[in-house]
Amino acid sequence: MSLPILPTTVVGSYSMPGWLERLKTEFFARRISRQDLDEIHDVAVKAAIKDQEVAGLDIITDGELRRDNMIDYFAERLPGIQTDHTSKKFYYDFYDSVVRGKLPMASLRLADDFRFLASFTDRAAKFCVTGPHSLVKRIKDEHYKNEQAFATDLARVMNMELKELARAGARYIQIDEPYYSGFPEDLQWGVKVLNTLVEGVDAKIALHVCYGNRYGKPSWAGNYRYLFPTILEANVQQLTLEFARRGGEDLELFKEYPNKFELGVGVIDVKTHEVETPDIIAERLRKALKFVPAERIFVLPDCGCLHLPQEVAFAKLRAMVQGTKIIRKELGG
Amino acid sequence: MPSAGHNFVTGRSIYSYEFVLSCSRWALSIPSLVVYKAVLVFLMILHVNQVPPNQTAIAGSVASTLLTVAAERQVQSRVLENLNVHLEWVQYKTNFREAVSLRRAIRGEEVLPWLEVGVDLRQCRPDALKEEFVDALKEATDVQAGSKKRVYLEPFTPIRSSIIWRFNNLFWQHLPLWETAAGHGFEKALPTGTSDANHPEAVADAVADFWTLLKDLEGHNLLPAEIFAMEIGVGTGRRAAAWLDRFRALDHERGTNYYPRIRFLLADYSMPTLNRAMEAVRNHRELASFLAVDALDPFKSLSFLRYKVLSIHLTNVYDNLPTDEIVVRDGKLYFVESRAYVSAAAATRISEEFGIPLTEFSRTVGRLLEVGPQHLHHSGGEYGVQFWTAVWDAIRLEERFVAIQSILDAPLPAGVKPGLLEKFVGEGVMNQRFHLSSGAVESFLNTVPLLHPRGYLQVQDIFVTNLEDYGRMFRGPGKMDGSIVNWVNGALLADVGAQAGYDLHFAPFHYREGSRTSILYTTHRE
Repeated sequence: MSLPILPTTVVGSYSMPGWLERLKTEFFARRISRQDLDEIHDVAVKAAIKDQEVAGLDIITDGELRRDNMIDYFAERLPGIQTDHTSKKFYYDFYDSVVRGKLPMASLRLADDFRFLASFTDRAAKFCVTGPHSLVKRIKDEHYKNEQAFATDLARVMNMELKELARAGARYIQIDEPYYSGFPEDLQWGVKVLNTLVEGVDAKIALHVCYGNRYGKPSWAGNYRYLFPTILEANVQQLTLEFARRGGEDLELFKEYPNKFELGVGVIDVKTHEVETPDIIAERLRKALKFVPAERIFVLPDCGCLHLPQEVAFAKLRAMVQGTKIIRKELGG
Repeated sequence: MPSAGHNFVTGRSIYSYEFVLSCSRWALSIPSLVVYKAVLVFLMILHVNQVPPNQTAIAGSVASTLLTVAAERQVQSRVLENLNVHLEWVQYKTNFREAVSLRRAIRGEEVLPWLEVGVDLRQCRPDALKEEFVDALKEATDVQAGSKKRVYLEPFTPIRSSIIWRFNNLFWQHLPLWETAAGHGFEKALPTGTSDANHPEAVADAVADFWTLLKDLEGHNLLPAEIFAMEIGVGTGRRAAAWLDRFRALDHERGTNYYPRIRFLLADYSMPTLNRAMEAVRNHRELASFLAVDALDPFKSLSFLRYKVLSIHLTNVYDNLPTDEIVVRDGKLYFVESRAYVSAAAATRISEEFGIPLTEFSRTVGRLLEVGPQHLHHSGGEYGVQFWTAVWDAIRLEERFVAIQSILDAPLPAGVKPGLLEKFVGEGVMNQRFHLSSGAVESFLNTVPLLHPRGYLQVQDIFVTNLEDYGRMFRGPGKMDGSIVNWVNGALLADVGAQAGYDLHFAPFHYREGSRTSILYTTHRE
């Protein structure tokens, strides 16, 4: 499946409909069954796939609509993580989860969700996974001697899962590590853990680092300078970073630190409902092109579209595709 | 007899009358009930929402007057059968209610049989009670009766759209004129004659908290080059001045040198207020900025500060923002519409006093709101302010309840997810009247995007943090000088905050004994 120059995609999540939020919460109140919720998720994912296709994206995700948040989807599946299922009432809250012994090797069954996605689209499909560094920040550790040890073991278990995803046909896998920005002092060991996670995985691996999107607002402030030069040691093919909300100043880092990475350029600000025009998108891309050649640029929103209303998310993605087409034309495509 | 407590209590039947008394706080003794021996059969419900201990006699008079009216058959029995009477003590000396006021319920064009009469015990005079009841209840069957007694200033409208908010706006835009005429500053209208916001210990604690945050950020090498702090609704500017004085002193004492990096923003929608505040903070002019902002949407004019402000403080702003009200009766939902009026007697008196034909009264009020008091009359501002004051004193609100199927059919605060309101109302009690605090909710949602990821919002105001507390005391609207005051629905605001990613905490203002204000502060929701 060949991609055009400047391929467009989402970071992972698509707009979470209000009705789905309510139904997820109904599940926690034990008013609907797991089976009903699974069927509801299937329907919602199909709609999200369709929206992305109609918007014109080149690489599609399942919108992450099965997930309550970026932690629990994994914490619940990870063998050896104990989750208190009574510890939340609202779906988006985090479970209280804890590890009390060494993690056993067992499947998380993420490949099933990828297969579902792939069966409902003819376009390239991407699967997104929360990275070990972010997971250890939310899962209480009562066993390992430190966060790095816990994260390394998580990476070992999840590496097996990524390989399974690749075997299931996932050509594009994205690792989400937003907590790097909140804990830049962890980066040294965070990258080592990341490399354990992706070792031997036969897929294009993107690393997404942002400043948080919890409740649609940033969790941290700062700039990406902290990533360099340590991030150059990461065995990933692509960095996916936010530039729309924060401006493009950090693009200079790609000149300052020459590197081999593709760059996923965030051109959509997901923290405002204001829809960008195609011209704004084009301008943001032109700026990125000054630092990274077109062959190495992917086009995305800053982060997940989870908190945007559906009509806003859809309009933003359409604008992103249209803006990208302007640049493709300028490049002679 | 009914006992104290807030549960529904069924009173004893007296002959063939049945009374259901809903007591919220006070035991009620009505010895005179037993003298009636009528044989009408109907159910009338008396809700005792709040009766101060020294006002039980007047509450008893209300009950016995009701029985007298019923026994004497001065009001149709079908009216009495559908009647709910609510007794409360309106703590605001001036407000928008008559001593006795009728509220009808409608569904579309249809007038529903269910009726409510509100009684403000504070205004009740025992000798006039009976007449006022009969008058009010006769309106139930004569929809034209009101227009004979009142000069209406507007048609029925959701409360937040009422003309009273234009008066509120007029007050803040022409504050100096009002204060000159009143002979005192607006803070004199507060219970203690001064704002709690200026309390030196409260200010010192707020500054200490802020300094601690800055120190922590600096420790993580995350302290921004420019440190933005903001006050919305600046009052006299005394709090901002006290805050800056204290911060400078603390900064000097600790040797941290943060003060020069402070960018202190004073924001208000009233230019006269900003001008006054400018004078108050003159010793810090080099780092203070004065911004005209819409209190309902600070983000509109301050979007360049998105995610940059480390501390935002508001005092007595939310209680002065437009709101709508929801009524739940026997599990059914209504939203409240009102129309402002001046009694025909008052309108006549004011018209004569100011040399205006009565037929021109409403138009003159409209002109006052349009051009301001200084341009109302060729003689100058004094005439205009006197007219304004007289009209404001006389304004009342007639209310009606509009039946709705779902809370989503009500005029809702912008930006709130519908599911949240459905859940909020669904968890409420069966009989309740509460504020939607529309303006406060919108203001909150349009303020938090300004907060730095480590920043916080503090709001000092009068909050109802438990929905059931709405039934225990009158919560507004009241008049505070020329402005409006409403308690703020803190319970709803907490849910709205959670939706926006903030946990809201309410701490009573402990710096002054007897204070009814609380401080809302936000923490980031994980």
